[in-house]
Amino acid sequence: MDIDFGSKLEDFRAEVGAFLDEAPTPAIREAGRKLTSVFAPFEQCMEWHQILHKKGWAAPSWPKEYGGTGWSVEQRYIFAEEYRKRDLPPLLPQSLGMVGPLLIDLGTEEQKEKYLPGILGGLDFWAQGYSEPNSGSDLASLSCRADADGDDYIINGSKIWTTYAHHANRMFMLVRTDNSGKKQQGITFLLLDRVDYEGMEIRPIVGLDGSPEQCEVFFDNVRVPQSGRVGEENDGWTVAKHLLKHERGGSAASPTLKRGLERVREAAKSTPSGFGSMMVDDPVFQRDMGELEADIASYEHFEKLAVSGHPMANDPSFPSMNKTMNSELVQRVSVMITRVTGTEAIPFQNEALRVGANVEPLGTDLDLVAMPYYLNSRATTIYAGSNEVQRDLIARTVGREG
Amino acid sequence: MDFTFTDEQQMLRDSVSGFLTKNYDFDQRNEIVRSDTGWSRDIWRQFAELGLLGLPFPENQGGFGGGATETVAIAEPFGAHLLAEPYIACISLGGAAVAAAGNSDWLEKVMNGDAIAAFAYEEGRGTADPIQVTMQATPTDEGFILTGEKRMVLAGGEADILVVAAELDDELGLFLVDPSADGLSVTSYPTMDGRRAANIRFEAVLANSIMEKPGEAIRTLLDNAILAICAESVGAMGALMKQTAEYAGTRKQFGVSIGSFQVVAHRMADMKIAYNKARATLLYSAALIEAGEATQKDIAILKGQTGKLGREIGEAAIQTHGGVGMTDELSVSHYHKRILANDALLGSSEYHLRKVGTLS
Ligand SMILES: Cc1cc2nc3c(=O)[nH]c(=O)nc-3n(C[C@H](O)[C@H](O)[C@H](O)COP(=O)(O)OP(=O)(O)OC[C@H]3O[C@@H](n4cnc5c(N)ncnc54)[C@H](O)[C@@H]3O)c2cc1C
Repeated sequence: MDIDFGSKLEDFRAEVGAFLDEAPTPAIREAGRKLTSVFAPFEQCMEWHQILHKKGWAAPSWPKEYGGTGWSVEQRYIFAEEYRKRDLPPLLPQSLGMVGPLLIDLGTEEQKEKYLPGILGGLDFWAQGYSEPNSGSDLASLSCRADADGDDYIINGSKIWTTYAHHANRMFMLVRTDNSGKKQQGITFLLLDRVDYEGMEIRPIVGLDGSPEQCEVFFDNVRVPQSGRVGEENDGWTVAKHLLKHERGGSAASPTLKRGLERVREAAKSTPSGFGSMMVDDPVFQRDMGELEADIASYEHFEKLAVSGHPMANDPSFPSMNKTMNSELVQRVSVMITRVTGTEAIPFQNEALRVGANVEPLGTDLDLVAMPYYLNSRATTIYAGSNEVQRDLIARTVGREG
Repeated sequence: MDFTFTDEQQMLRDSVSGFLTKNYDFDQRNEIVRSDTGWSRDIWRQFAELGLLGLPFPENQGGFGGGATETVAIAEPFGAHLLAEPYIACISLGGAAVAAAGNSDWLEKVMNGDAIAAFAYEEGRGTADPIQVTMQATPTDEGFILTGEKRMVLAGGEADILVVAAELDDELGLFLVDPSADGLSVTSYPTMDGRRAANIRFEAVLANSIMEKPGEAIRTLLDNAILAICAESVGAMGALMKQTAEYAGTRKQFGVSIGSFQVVAHRMADMKIAYNKARATLLYSAALIEAGEATQKDIAILKGQTGKLGREIGEAAIQTHGGVGMTDELSVSHYHKRILANDALLGSSEYHLRKVGTLS
């Protein structure tokens, strides 16, 4: 056992802090302060991505030869901590966290050359086209079809819940190429180098918080080149499962949770409890905050053990445990935020929430984001494999450890 | 003991339900919410014709003398239809305040649907108890002067008259303020659950006192409003339960309905238990209020349980719906938002549950 982060790392922390203090534009900072989702406001997020890329810091978890930072796990953790402390918008996960790592592992040389620079540099945004109206948790039942035709595929069908497809210029997707065997066997993984093919239509869906974040994507005889295939035809399920590893864990999420609590504590200093003191001094509030803080601490410990290479992280259900814990903590923090903001979270302020808006918020920044953040966070237990499905996976591994 | 509706109360409930089913389905409601005014004067006029606007007021003031049970009978359907019209704002709060003060001029206009009265009470982050009101009324030769701010005043932007709660000699009094009075600035906004509200700044605003030394009158008014709010939430919970059960029965994944997965089935069972708990407490509390026996603890139990159980049901409904539960298009999230907004009004469940524990 060795808990030492190493003394040199304080210099590293200072270097990271100095850059993060100086590099983001005011609009990028505003986007971070107005964050109500894991998906940050698109334009500022991509601008920030490009700034980080210039510094060489866009993809700390990528292998160094592909443009990663070559940082140790401790350094990556420190970076995440300093990042969250400043309420900066997180980079979008679909490109950097999903299709990028996938291409590094499984892409052809041609695909890597063509796509990795745009992904790393923040020039492209890739939407994830998996889910369909009738295939959510049961993703393998998907029916959006691709028929081979010469060097192309012709796609028919639709996708739904495709986050930020209306901002995307590229898309990775799963299509049905064979119906004869088990449902998992006839799926193929495709890269679309653009999303404005003839016959393709993208319609945003307004979310419960009043903003469009997900989309429906319709395909009517859309012809795309077969060179966009990753892996073999009908082997897309294996490819998708590989990618899921990247989607469900391996990042540093606890700094975000801790930052959320810090904001709650700050607001609680000036919010009356209704029982004679400010909330921050109220024993009931302290007990509830304490419980949440302790749970977040245990999650942080779990996460740190994992990044240090502890065998706990080799458990086959590690990604599912990680996803379940994190999503439920995000929701609990979001509830705490609405608790401290109270009636001030009830006005609908979507206009003031827009980056660059001319409208003054009615209250504090936290009042502004509290309700949309709470509402949006309901999704964390639904997407990336619902928590019910995750618990099924975890249950199957119980008793098999060690 | 009998906690059922009388035939007359059931008829009232059915007529409100029937009216809303015909004129206020979810699409019609959304069209109204998206309109400039955010609610429908036409529906309001029909409410007046149906006698709903005079329902809770005493007969000797020209009302129909409805009690707590009548309030529940109509407010549950309001919740089930996500009413955007300011019934709670203008009848349960504003109208009830002018009635309590015995101001028959304004009350008559309110009951006829000719005026909107708003109750300016909340001062930000949940003014759960009248003793938390800090706005001061200062007597002068011309009248009383009010300075300070009221927030989340339901229907505050469209009010024809404001009834303001402010402190006078260490007691709460009620004051009438003309919304166009000098020194008043009103910032109105939609709420996240499809209503309208306003923050109102008072800079030395001239006001008429209509009630000094109100004794328990303001508390009684707030208790009745809490009942209406909770009934609305319970109506929303019932709608959520029904809709979620339907969805779980028809949505198929892995070749079977999702309701056949035990974890989903048990969540539905928990929703049903929560709904029945909340509704039992609602009906029982209505009977207590009607008998004049509701204590502060009873009211705190009602508000605390409704907020807590409502949140459970709303969150369970969204989770069970998966992705579609996250959309604006489905009513599920709108019900949850109404329940959450109602929870925040007049003291959240966190506040009230703690209060329950402090009262012996
Ligand atoms: C905000 C958000 C962003 C998203 N982004 C994307 C994206 O970019 N790309 C993409 O492809 N998809 C995306 N999704 C879709 C997401 O992956 C699906 O919503 C998810 O897989 C659940 O599917 P569903 O919505 O069809 O719900 P369903 O699968 O219909 O599930 C409904 C309910 O039934 C439960 N259930 C289902 N099966 C079982 C079971 N076997 N046992 C127990 N309970 C079960 C679920 O847990 C859930 O509570 C996003 C979703 C959201 C909400």
